Amino acid sequence: MRALRLVLIVALGAASPRGSAAQDAAARMDGRVPADVARAVQAIAEGARARGLPVEPLIQKAIEGSAKGVPAERVVEAVRVLAGRLDEAQGALREAGIATPGADAVEGGAYALTAGLTASQVRELVRLSQPSYDPALTLHVAATLTALGVPPEQSLQVMERRIQARQGANELLDLPNEVEVGMARGATPAEATREVEETESQQGVTSTSAAPPPPNRPARANPHKP
Amino acid sequence: MTNYPLPVKQLLDGELTLAELPPELRAAGEEALGLVASVDRTPVTLSPTLDARVMAAVRHRATSRARRVWRWFATPRDLELRLRVRPWAAWASGLAAAAGVALLLTRPPARVPAGAVAARVATPNVVFVRFVLYAPGAKRVAVAGTFNQWDQTAAPLVPAGTGGVWSTTLALPVGQHQYAFVVDGRRWVADPAAPAVDDGFGRRNSVVAVTAQGARTL
Repeated sequence: MRALRLVLIVALGAASPRGSAAQDAAARMDGRVPADVARAVQAIAEGARARGLPVEPLIQKAIEGSAKGVPAERVVEAVRVLAGRLDEAQGALREAGIATPGADAVEGGAYALTAGLTASQVRELVRLSQPSYDPALTLHVAATLTALGVPPEQSLQVMERRIQARQGANELLDLPNEVEVGMARGATPAEATREVEETESQQGVTSTSAAPPPPNRPARANPHKP
Repeated sequence: MTNYPLPVKQLLDGELTLAELPPELRAAGEEALGLVASVDRTPVTLSPTLDARVMAAVRHRATSRARRVWRWFATPRDLELRLRVRPWAAWASGLAAAAGVALLLTRPPARVPAGAVAARVATPNVVFVRFVLYAPGAKRVAVAGTFNQWDQTAAPLVPAGTGGVWSTTLALPVGQHQYAFVVDGRRWVADPAAPAVDDGFGRRNSVVAVTAQGARTL
């Protein structure tokens, strides 16, 4: 029965290039997602693809919901909500000046929205990130900080300071881990973030990126100088 | 031994006085007190060999080889150390020691592993990531996520000892992954040591980012 379904999917999907993508999505969900859910998700995914959105997260969400034993209608609703977030993220990226945002950036924006940032905060962060930083990177870092429990506004401020200090990608990627270290010592996410910021300002912000530090700021402040 | 009546025994124990004894027992009481007094005054004669035996035991302890060695090690004593050093050599040694201390103090602190995931790089695009969950009482634990199509049979954890710690190591492609632990095939649990986001179904998914340098909390 499953083999017959796959043959039908392949036969129908071979009719057009667009059908090829639909066939791939159907094959991915086959056996993992109930047929009615798969049909509904495919329809949502087709609409998303037509708007230039990545569809892989939608398929993953359907597979995840089914694996977790979530009722069919809730799975479809979750996929629809995620498609809406991808739409919102794409809109924020475009408003920030990226005409055709890539899948990574759109997924990063949706992740940030899921974590708790607002669309305007996503837009602001993307605007700050350009042109030196990949917006997917900064969105993921800010989203992870927020997922750790750092208030979204504080996450945005921390990222803004780091971007203005022209920190390298590795320093940005390390930021959530540094906050986690403080949290492991008993600080709240907000306190841990503040401590990381204070330590940075005491030691002076180091830059490992190719871009030089701004001319009005020394590369490394002397911590012994008042 | 004379078997005195109870009041006389109480007299000997100091519980009664002679005046408190009944008149018919006072004579017996006086006799008993007299006997005890005579015993108390009897001189004790020690064995003439006692002194010799005690002194032999003391000498034996004092001359034990092991005791002497231990005493040699343990007894504090004054030592005088004289050094003959050129001033420039003393300064150079001091500066080297100060530089060593400064190096130790300014070395960046070691990073704490990111929660329950630790990683090492396998190839540029694949990184081994270790997942750990403390689940005492669980009969089986698995990790499911975007990297294995949320298949709860694909990546079982194995118990590390009998303390309730379960772990496994997976080769994950570079990228961001969401995951959760599945306990006993029915309970989905977010990694308590990793950031988590709403999964859209009323639960939380943990997030790990795999970069070419290893896994990060991202």
